[in-house]
Amino acid sequence: MTVTKVVEIPVTLEIPIGPQHPALHEPLMLKVYADGEEVIKVDINTGYNHRGIEKLCERNSFYRNIFICGRVCGICNTVHADCYVRAVEYLMDIDPPRRAKYLRVLAMELERIHSHLIINAIMAEILGFDTLFMYIMRDREKIMKAKEILTGNRVLADYMMIGGVRRDIDSIKKDRILKIVNNIEKEIKRYLKVFETDDTITKRLMGVGVIKPSDITKHGLLGPTARGSGIKIDARMGDKYDAYDEVPFNVIVRKEMDSWARMMVRWEETLESVNICKYVLEHLPSDASAVPDERRLPRRFPPGESYARAEAPRGELTYYINSVGKQIPYRVKIRTPSFNNIINSGFSYIGYSIADVPVILTSYDPCISCMERAIVIDVKRGARKSVSLKQLAKGEI
Amino acid sequence: MEIPEKVRFLSDLVKETYTLKPNRVVLEINRDNVRKALELLLENLGDTGFYLAVIVGTDYPDKNKIRLDYYVVMHPDKEVYIFRTWLPRDDPRISSVVDILPAALSGECETHDLLGVVFEGNPYLKRGFFVPPDVYEKGIYPLRKDVKV
Amino acid sequence: MGKEKLVGYSPWIAHFNTGACNGCDIEVLAAIAPHYDPERFGVKLAPSIRHADILVVTGAVTKKAGERLKRLYEQMPSPKFVIAVGACACSGGVFHDTYSVLAGADKVVPVDMYVPGCPPRPEAILDAIVALVMKLRKGGGNGNS
Repeated sequence: MTVTKVVEIPVTLEIPIGPQHPALHEPLMLKVYADGEEVIKVDINTGYNHRGIEKLCERNSFYRNIFICGRVCGICNTVHADCYVRAVEYLMDIDPPRRAKYLRVLAMELERIHSHLIINAIMAEILGFDTLFMYIMRDREKIMKAKEILTGNRVLADYMMIGGVRRDIDSIKKDRILKIVNNIEKEIKRYLKVFETDDTITKRLMGVGVIKPSDITKHGLLGPTARGSGIKIDARMGDKYDAYDEVPFNVIVRKEMDSWARMMVRWEETLESVNICKYVLEHLPSDASAVPDERRLPRRFPPGESYARAEAPRGELTYYINSVGKQIPYRVKIRTPSFNNIINSGFSYIGYSIADVPVILTSYDPCISCMERAIVIDVKRGARKSVSLKQLAKGEI
Repeated sequence: MEIPEKVRFLSDLVKETYTLKPNRVVLEINRDNVRKALELLLENLGDTGFYLAVIVGTDYPDKNKIRLDYYVVMHPDKEVYIFRTWLPRDDPRISSVVDILPAALSGECETHDLLGVVFEGNPYLKRGFFVPPDVYEKGIYPLRKDVKV
Repeated sequence: MGKEKLVGYSPWIAHFNTGACNGCDIEVLAAIAPHYDPERFGVKLAPSIRHADILVVTGAVTKKAGERLKRLYEQMPSPKFVIAVGACACSGGVFHDTYSVLAGADKVVPVDMYVPGCPPRPEAILDAIVALVMKLRKGGGNGNS
């Protein structure tokens, strides 16, 4: 097979690796080699815009790192802060009060809902279903309002603190959040039905990007990508951290193994998150104050190591912290789920057409900016053309 | 500490066992036995019995060593085992496992670019995977402790 | 002078992410979604950089992304304007002292509006766009045409 087209797709990801950002002349992500329309090889080049977070964490105190780690990813920032804070709490053998744990779960589940809504909206947009994109974004605004009522900010919550959370809620706020969550449940059921029955979506997603279960574990793919292929892995079930040992929930697994299964896993997980939010709001314990006293926060960090994991919307997120007894950590290692899902998944594009590549990439849930443009190089004619990912998905090259 | 039942078949290779907070089990192994340990894991637990979660490298210039941790998560019960090995700092080489466990690709490439560990047998290793040219051209491995970046 | 006034009636926006955590990007995305309705000001997303009037920059400008930003700015036809959205684009934010980051978009391109916040609300982003548009309609430019 000869290569007739090479497609370079730049995608900026929130991977916090390294003290510097990597530098290629353009932040290149996927380099797709195609013979006609069929993909024969994919190179994953890592040209992301990184900011040196691991090295930055080694220079700042444990408390400042809570806020730095929250800014690794804006879309799943509460999970990052929560995982970091729990790793520090394991190190110091601190157990926060139950009320704080329930509030943490509420914040993380609200974030899961908004993250799943955004990736499904982007998937609809890439498939050309602009109306659905606009509808889902409109409903997502309600969840942002709920997040604002709970944490004080729409996106970057800065909600976690060692020993608890930074704000509490009263009964008025609780009722407002409950009202929003009940309201959005019927909209989500409607969208789920659209994804199940609408031809625009099912014809483009079913049978595309099939990954076998043994390939999932061998390549270390995580989150809804793994659960869409029948592998039941979920850090909430594995570690039962925060309040997940008391809050009932189901882990959603599907057997179809294709992109459609991955998006459906996300919709059904959104419904599960709605149920978790309702349970948390109705059963909020009052055992102790959820907000630790700022004047009594721990000042000494004992030497030792700890490893915490959390279930971010995209998969399993892990934090490793090593302390040598100082005010600053010796080593912080952050492994985001997209690191595994995107870099290790180059094998899954082979044999599909170029138009399927953005669809498969979106089904792994990277953070794609809607204006990302791909460069299509026609090898025979030596021509370069810039197209948007949406045009690529429509086959307009 | 005794080696847990689930990985008893590794007892010949394991030098020491202890816990890492909160409840992870560390198995210290010689660098020449790491690949063998992962092969044994694949043989005994199968393709879908576990997955490689992350590879963490840490620089210890005072001990003149670089420590490498392979975090392995069992499926379905989700216990975490850590294969820990120490490499000499002036010769940080170890056999790559990317052919038997392709999940190691991302971790090995990253550890090579940031710490300078050479995974022999991995064809995808290159400088500049993450680190920009103006740093790697000076031969600097950014995550090492003695580096001023 | 007349050119700015024309641009003010329907400015098209291009968005560029120079190494952000995506928090500002989703607020920019929300600002162009129907809830905040920017189309009543004539504002919409341009299909390519050559059709854009206003460049919205997010992210702590990393060195390599800074070169790309400069090239992108040069490709825009004048009159052209830049809005720096978020604490990172204004001055580097939390990352201002990692040496791989040029702290702030104004080290690379001339910025007309700064929107502080981490991330700023969509209302604040729209407010900045509207303030720029009002200034243009009154005939004020930035001398960069």
